[in-house]
Amino acid sequence: MAVVAPGGVDPSGLPTATPVPAASPATKIAGRRWDAATLLFLGPPAILLAVFLIYPTIYTIFLSFNRGRRGEFTEWVGLQHYIGLLNDKAFINVSTFPPSGAIWNNVLWAIFYTSLVIFLGLIVAVLASRVRYESIIKAVVFLPMAIAATALAIIWNFVYAPDPNIGLLNAILDPFTDRGISWLGNPGLVNAALIAAGIWGSVGFATVILSAALKSIPTEVLEAARTDGANERQIFFRIILPMVSLPISVLAVTLLVNVIKLFDLIYVLTNGGPGVSSRVIAFTMYYESIPGGQFGRGAAITVVMLILLLPIMAYNIRRFRSSRVV
Amino acid sequence: MTRSLRFPAILLAAAFVASACGGGGGGTSPAASEPGASASGGASGGPATSGEAGTINVLSLWGGSEEEAFKKVLEDFTAKTGWGVNYEADRQTYSTTLQSRITGGNPPDIAIIPGIGFLRRFAKDGSLKKIADLGVDTAGLSSNYPEGFLAAGTVDGELYALPAKYNNKGTMWFRPDVYSDASVTTPKTWDEFKAALDKTVDKPGAMSLGAKDDWNLTDWFESIYIRQSGVDAYDKLFSAEGDWADPSVQKTVDTMLEVINDKYVVGGVEAAVGRAWTDAIAQVFKPEPEAGTFYEGGFVGGIATTQTNKDLKIGETIDWYPFPTIDNTEDVTTFGGDVVGALTDSEGAKAFMTYVVTPEANTVWASTGAIVSPNKGVATDSYPNELVVREADSLKNAAQIRYDGSDLLPAGIQGEQMGQLLQRAIAGDTVDWADFQTRVKAAWDNE
Repeated sequence: MAVVAPGGVDPSGLPTATPVPAASPATKIAGRRWDAATLLFLGPPAILLAVFLIYPTIYTIFLSFNRGRRGEFTEWVGLQHYIGLLNDKAFINVSTFPPSGAIWNNVLWAIFYTSLVIFLGLIVAVLASRVRYESIIKAVVFLPMAIAATALAIIWNFVYAPDPNIGLLNAILDPFTDRGISWLGNPGLVNAALIAAGIWGSVGFATVILSAALKSIPTEVLEAARTDGANERQIFFRIILPMVSLPISVLAVTLLVNVIKLFDLIYVLTNGGPGVSSRVIAFTMYYESIPGGQFGRGAAITVVMLILLLPIMAYNIRRFRSSRVV
Repeated sequence: MTRSLRFPAILLAAAFVASACGGGGGGTSPAASEPGASASGGASGGPATSGEAGTINVLSLWGGSEEEAFKKVLEDFTAKTGWGVNYEADRQTYSTTLQSRITGGNPPDIAIIPGIGFLRRFAKDGSLKKIADLGVDTAGLSSNYPEGFLAAGTVDGELYALPAKYNNKGTMWFRPDVYSDASVTTPKTWDEFKAALDKTVDKPGAMSLGAKDDWNLTDWFESIYIRQSGVDAYDKLFSAEGDWADPSVQKTVDTMLEVINDKYVVGGVEAAVGRAWTDAIAQVFKPEPEAGTFYEGGFVGGIATTQTNKDLKIGETIDWYPFPTIDNTEDVTTFGGDVVGALTDSEGAKAFMTYVVTPEANTVWASTGAIVSPNKGVATDSYPNELVVREADSLKNAAQIRYDGSDLLPAGIQGEQMGQLLQRAIAGDTVDWADFQTRVKAAWDNE
């Protein structure tokens, strides 16, 4: 069957439909050739990325220097939007201690939401792996992940309602308090309440990821440690924790990105209130752009978000390059 | 993984069912925008009615009873003119939908515009067509509409939108049974109002408030301001020449705090800031009331009688009296409402705008009981119930009426808005009105 079609295959064994120059080493990148097939496979995603990602990004950056009526370029205003944002106490206010404003609220979210989700997720994963009904526990903890964020927010709206007849928490606290606690109406409590709802919604995700990571630790390692006389605490801190540190960092990056994108929970539960005390960056972007009609200012906020996301993305890309774990 | 995945899948299905039920509750609709009457969420599209002349697209934010009523008007429009209507409604994300359709070059022919700040933005953008260019007899309009209503649709001296429906915002809702148990007669002045609240404090409670929806507070502010400082000061404050640093502003806040405080507000002010306004309506109009009084516009009647408690009886368990007079004893009131504008100058859009100002169209609308029509040609007996008849009369007979002020403010005020400042003010914070003035001024200049 060694039939060679006339002119079908060149000596290098590649189809000749696109005659690759003989000096192929020059066109070889990491052992690949840029031929028609390559372009065919890379072209569509490249076009999609250009149209739906690169062009909008550039457009947004330009828009942030423009008045931006209707989201179109109408009048160039230079850095006006950025200066306005720095002076906007609802965006960032460092004149008081603790600071306040949307950026600061995002910082609170980044610290408490990220760390507590990982902490609780790890605890559930480790404890659940030691019992027989592990899958049931994981399913229950994972359940909130299956709920749309807006539905989750509505559930928590009932939990936090100030009236004991409606609000679950206040119904529980009713015998002990004179008056219901206004979880979402008190500027001092509102961020903690929102973060708690966010944690409830994400612990399941952390549990599933970390649980898989725990399973990937070879039992030989653990057995060897036990044979050497390590107690369970030592095994956890000296063996398990270092071995799941990479999944934890992946998780942390994902959660941080979630924090910066955070919008739906705030929109449904508090609409940024009371006053502006629970606004976050993404919510402010929506608020200034759509109800406020200030698309230029909204674009400037988006650029701020982009700048905050860049280091996280850079870290992510570097990690993708350096390792293929997870 | 397969084994452990099956179980979550069942739970997931259950969660979707649960969330579907939760979303329909409406009672605590959290980001509820300023309403006409009902709080049904999400988008809904009506079946397109076909007409031989062609079809127009109509976008509105009305749901529930308001939507039913508007569809009757659209049916009548199709019957009379031959134009079919492709009706779309989107309540929760109306501004987003409208804005993105305009930006995307695919505007609806006709849009209901909530709020005048919103109207000015679209008029100045050049998105809205002038009424004069649509073949509507603008000179004839003033015989059909009171001056205050047409003024609301005017931007820079040009008429861009027509009044569609309105609600009186000078309506103080109360439980007649609670008032009579406490031997309270309906108050006329501010002092009598406070006395009435005093008498009902523990029987069963004075007043409910849902200030999470901060526009409830701006309505309080406006109702007090216009009755305390007068119509001229009100006009100035909500215009580009307004001065929020003026002592009259803080004076109104102080007057508000005389009744919006822990003594009178059921559950306390802090709880009220975390409460949706529909929940506050329920506190007064549920079968076992927690309070006797609730202030908001005329639309409260529709919500209370159709959604909160269907057993309410007008005059026995639900009624309203005019917002008490303060220093200015002139018969003034504020109103809020939606206007209707055209985003294209297609023949269908012209036909609709010509039709919608006719007394016949407005009578069809009014007879549903869902709205109060600003059209003078609508006979009072077109309305199906007494609460609405009195609401219509109160505005017709008022010496002066003014549009809801917070809806007149420019849309692009940076940072904390009027309602959000008032949320803090009732919680006991001192508000920096001079700072607000700077930001309002910037937004006016920038408009």
